[in-house]
Amino acid sequence: MTKEQAILQAIVLTLAQAFVLLTVSPAIVGLVRKVKARFQCRRGASVFQPYADLAKLFRKQPVVSTTTSWIFTATPYILFASTLTAGLLVPAFASQMPLNFAGNIIALVYLFALGTFFLILAGLDAGSPFGGMGSSREAIVASLTEPAMIMSIFAIALTTGSTNLSTIVHKTALLEGIVTDPSPHLMALAALFIVALAETGRVPVDNPATHLELTMIHEAMLLEYSGRYLALLEWASGMKLLVFLSLIANVFAPWGIATTLTPMALSIGLAVYLVKVASLAVVIGTMECMFAKLRLFRVTDLLGVAFILALLGLLFFYILRG
Amino acid sequence: MVSWLTPHIGTQLVDLGSALLLLTCFAIIAQRRLSACVDLFALQSLFLAMTAALVAFLTGTPHIYYAAALTVLVKVIVIPRVLKRVIERLNVTRELVMNINVPASLLICGALVMIAFFITQPIIPFGHLLTRDSLAIALAIVLIGFFTMIARQKAVTQMIAFLVMENGLFLGATAATYGMPLIVELGVFFDVLVAALIAGIYTNRLQDAFDSVDTNRLSELKE
Repeated sequence: MTKEQAILQAIVLTLAQAFVLLTVSPAIVGLVRKVKARFQCRRGASVFQPYADLAKLFRKQPVVSTTTSWIFTATPYILFASTLTAGLLVPAFASQMPLNFAGNIIALVYLFALGTFFLILAGLDAGSPFGGMGSSREAIVASLTEPAMIMSIFAIALTTGSTNLSTIVHKTALLEGIVTDPSPHLMALAALFIVALAETGRVPVDNPATHLELTMIHEAMLLEYSGRYLALLEWASGMKLLVFLSLIANVFAPWGIATTLTPMALSIGLAVYLVKVASLAVVIGTMECMFAKLRLFRVTDLLGVAFILALLGLLFFYILRG
Repeated sequence: MVSWLTPHIGTQLVDLGSALLLLTCFAIIAQRRLSACVDLFALQSLFLAMTAALVAFLTGTPHIYYAAALTVLVKVIVIPRVLKRVIERLNVTRELVMNINVPASLLICGALVMIAFFITQPIIPFGHLLTRDSLAIALAIVLIGFFTMIARQKAVTQMIAFLVMENGLFLGATAATYGMPLIVELGVFFDVLVAALIAGIYTNRLQDAFDSVDTNRLSELKE
């Protein structure tokens, strides 16, 4: 293969992954809502309703308060771009991402943090009390999830000997160089699952379906947005959910992912990937129905558990080396 | 012995069982509802029995099977029932005030696991049993149980913490020497059962005398 062909292949693969992330994420949000509706004995909107919502919002004229600064209008684009970039670092249907040189798992964490930071600023920017309250709560949650996420990621990185996501997924998929027990993986999985629930604003921490002043976190920061800005933010939060699901699915159970770039392997990889994220979405929808939302000050307990789980994962790597 | 069950995979399964035991310890610390704590203790005992049965299977020592069966009988069925009945009689369902709050307890227990790891670190390489890695976890469970007795105020949770400590000791004995002689195990089980019954009665008496199961009340002298 010549150099030009290799570059072309890398570009095509990256674009394909971006396309999958953009098109699948609204369906995942729709699927979680549908599962919740079925559990609550409602028929629920179609799984494809979020596409219609996004299309409608993009057509609407945005209203921007005169008291806001440039941060307010820039945030949707920053959040959307940072989430999409983060999504391109996580292997979805092919284990070797062309962009893997650009950042490892730590870059992923801080790309999410960048988006969250600007969202917090934007929540404060409009000067509405709800936005500020949402920002303050988001800051609490974000500061508590970050150590748990970093620790769980280190636990995984230790077992595979690399912080590069493509290497981790590739090695695990081929079962090469995996010498340790399942315990560190198990702990890290549990920790990362709690982190994913907290980061994407899911039920024990936040309720994505509510606009009740006292409880909302993520929605409170979006209250002032409308039109295409809101569409971008909604789309970005859907993508964030999909990226976390891909991360959990492919780091802990990457089997079926395309380890070579043949068309056959890629199509199997894509089908397996869709099945994996869809089943994780069903799990999340089920959990949202099983648990009540925690009081804000109890969230620290839950995220403390996530941190300790991740820490145990790290310790078990040393304790249980067999 | 089944062909795929190599000693290496056997060790990993035992390690996984002990890891689950430690996990339930942390769940007990993070849990405020008393009845959920009892359920978690029963779950932990079930994991303990499974780990012990696995060790018995891998090593072909029948007396660990008996100990595992006794664990299921005493710690999964009888003691949780006794504790549930005690909780039913009480007017509290959850622990609201603690000497040390939940996030701080979790962090301290994380540190305790590290201490247990560093203490056992020099000893473990000299072991040649396939359960040797569990020793660090067993010590950690004992320390965490001890800490939970200090951190909680309610008699019921202190009771559960005591039982968790005993689970840790059992795991430690299994890890270090493939279990104690059956007669010793029998004695320990009987002691634990009687201790649980006595503590149940004591909790009820505490409830009658002070209208609370807060053990801090016991430090006040009464005519």
